[in-house]
Amino acid sequence: MGKLFDASHLTRRGFLKRTGLATGALAVGGLTTPFPHAKKTLAQQNERFIAAVSAPPRTMNPYGSDADSNLSVMSNIFEGLLQRDVSGELKPALATDWTRVDELTWRFKLRKGVKFHNGNDFTWEDVKFSFKRMAQPKVSEFLSTGQSIDSVTKVSDDPVTIDIKTKSPIPWFDQNLHQLYIMDKESTEARSAGEVAQEPIGTGPYRFVEWVKGSNLDLEVNNGYWGELPEIKQARLRPLTEPSTRLAAMEAGEVDLMKDIPVRLFERAEEDPNTKVVTRPSRRAIFLGLRNASDFPASDLRVREAIYRAINEPEIIAAVMNNHASPAAQIPDPPTIGFSEDIERFSFNLDKARQLLKDAGFSDGFDITLTGPNDRYVQDEQIAQAIATQLSKVDINVELDVKPKAIYFEELPKHKLDFYLLGWFDGAFDFGRTYSKLIHTVDKEQGLGTFNAADYSAPDLDQIWEEANQIVDPKEREKKLQELNRKAMEEKISVIPLHYQQDTWAIKKGAGIEFTPRPDGWVRFIDIGIKQ
Amino acid sequence: MLTFLVRRISQAIAVLLLISFIGFLIFQFLGDPAVAMAGRYASQEQRAQVREALGLDEPIYVQYFTFLKNALHGDFGQSYVYHADALQLILDRLPASIELAVTAMVIALFFGVVLGVIASLNPRAVVSRFIMSGSLLGVSIPTFVTGILFILIFAVNLGIFPTSGRGNVVTLFPGWQSNFLSWDGITHLILPAITLSFFQLAVLLRLTRGGMVEILQEDYIRTAWAKGLLTRVVVFKHALRNVLIPVITMVGLQLGELIAHSIVTESIFQWPGAGQLLLTALYEADRPILVTYIMMAAFFILVINLVVDIMYALLNPKIRYE
Repeated sequence: MGKLFDASHLTRRGFLKRTGLATGALAVGGLTTPFPHAKKTLAQQNERFIAAVSAPPRTMNPYGSDADSNLSVMSNIFEGLLQRDVSGELKPALATDWTRVDELTWRFKLRKGVKFHNGNDFTWEDVKFSFKRMAQPKVSEFLSTGQSIDSVTKVSDDPVTIDIKTKSPIPWFDQNLHQLYIMDKESTEARSAGEVAQEPIGTGPYRFVEWVKGSNLDLEVNNGYWGELPEIKQARLRPLTEPSTRLAAMEAGEVDLMKDIPVRLFERAEEDPNTKVVTRPSRRAIFLGLRNASDFPASDLRVREAIYRAINEPEIIAAVMNNHASPAAQIPDPPTIGFSEDIERFSFNLDKARQLLKDAGFSDGFDITLTGPNDRYVQDEQIAQAIATQLSKVDINVELDVKPKAIYFEELPKHKLDFYLLGWFDGAFDFGRTYSKLIHTVDKEQGLGTFNAADYSAPDLDQIWEEANQIVDPKEREKKLQELNRKAMEEKISVIPLHYQQDTWAIKKGAGIEFTPRPDGWVRFIDIGIKQ
Repeated sequence: MLTFLVRRISQAIAVLLLISFIGFLIFQFLGDPAVAMAGRYASQEQRAQVREALGLDEPIYVQYFTFLKNALHGDFGQSYVYHADALQLILDRLPASIELAVTAMVIALFFGVVLGVIASLNPRAVVSRFIMSGSLLGVSIPTFVTGILFILIFAVNLGIFPTSGRGNVVTLFPGWQSNFLSWDGITHLILPAITLSFFQLAVLLRLTRGGMVEILQEDYIRTAWAKGLLTRVVVFKHALRNVLIPVITMVGLQLGELIAHSIVTESIFQWPGAGQLLLTALYEADRPILVTYIMMAAFFILVINLVVDIMYALLNPKIRYE
């Protein structure tokens, strides 16, 4: 299969050159300018807006997958207590107002007069039921959240106000609510888990019409929606997993919007006169983890800085990422709580790196193994190779150990790696949670440091994290998290951030489509405007 | 005949058992499904809960026998990814795969035989040489290359056919949606069917030509020419009929493989068939789907082989299975 995907990333001309098909080249070479005849779009034919995405929806059970590709689809049909707008800001949805009462308790005022697609009224019982369902291993990939809930209770009747109590303090609880969808208690209990995973009933702006697996998901506007009705009335989502086919469908005018232009076909998409290309930094940062046990060279802060400074990130972005990435000085992205504008990258400086290594007593360098996936992130294997070459210039001899994600992601929670490449973004937009999974000292009982694959430990940073958890006031807590972030990145060099990936979108020109890419990369049809 | 049948069927069952066991073992190494299914932020304990809920905490041989026991009742387990019945998921996708494979086979058979006959009548003519070198290309160009070329030429540049997908299908009967009943469905079918047919077409073409060249030398054909029969009658009635026997056998044997092996074509044209489902399942380490699919493919191939063997005996009295 490797071959298949290599070929699909090539540009049309490069592809023909490599395969050396003389006859094919003649046939296609003469036709590089698309024929001008009418390319009727499905959207024009029946006013249906068609979006092509790279990953198919897996299930219509809103807790059945925590992959963003699935949450994105669900966000059209279901709603959480809260939602996020196109800039990533948290906004009211099924709850109109919310506060953190104390460390464990969150209070929500529920929206009145909301109905599910089947006509049932939305009540506080549905909220209670939904959080219970999230805790069931057979139907939920949100176990961590579901099982952290202690109780959901009603406080007052009009407006209906509820308290959600968690078992331990979860400062980012509200930040996660845009993807914890509320289901209808009555119809979910009445149907089997299999049926529920086929036909979703939510409160969202779109109601479910049909799902043909592997082919399309059709939605139509929910005229009983509590908010302003979306401009797109009929929507279709087409999963086109094969990158070159996805782009071909865009070029042929079959789709109105397309997500994920393959890096190597990017120029071809830009040259297409019928397509507008839009990009924005993705939420996902790529970074390197590094062991700091006392018998390991990188326990010395000078060695950590030397490695950081010996990596030429601008070169990686230009040569490996084809400029489809932006440098990262930290793991969180701007909408994430704890992101700090004041953090800067250590600049690339080979002389300084050599000097630091000399000071630390490693003037002859040392051997290290860099582990990473080769099928998970954009150009992941190539990034690792570039880093190995760059570090060899300061006599650090890097042995590469790249492998398929299915194997790599099983190795991570064993905490045995020395130096590894990983990508991360936090679904709850909270650096506190990111820290607890990536940098915090490993504590299996409490689920801390799950992806801290090099067993990194900085007890004084853990202390700051602990303090931040006890702060109820969101502004104060954000300050504390920014301090934690700055110390981890600049003082301790807990990890070496590399870059943020880039989300790429292609939009059909001339159809009046007004589209702003969201930070989470979701396709929410209600966010898309159509100029008449 | 009866002893033969009993022996062949018991052999087939043994093969199926072996395949299920090997499949079960190999896919153990695809990674732990509980890691993904408990969610990104789950603790070790929550993963253990998922393993328990799926029965993955049992020793492997217990898991295997549970699987066998359920499979005998028609229950091949739930897909880890879709949380739905694995067999049903595959059966839902099967009509798309079968329609694609059958169409490809019809195209391959028709053009294979016609071109093969043309190439055999006058082997030294330019047309014949062109056809024969073309068939070499058909055997040697990988499917993904032809597929992508076809999309670029006929869908993107010429705009004659849609790039991908199945289009508007019409329900033939419950559980079977068909491409054949709407114009949109037919246009969606053409490019992938031609792509998938390429290899088979080349094989059938060479088989027909080879047989024809040989048979045209036979005495009874010379007699036919000498009697002054029409070319049409000699070629189609006397020669081709005899050539078609091995060709049809080949078609039967290849059909099962076409259905099982159309993964690449389905992936390029995003054809929502069983092959595409298998590919996704591989990436997601969805073991129930993988094992079920492989068992089903093996089942098809075994059945077709058995039927071909029986047909032989019925059609040709010289063959006896005793």
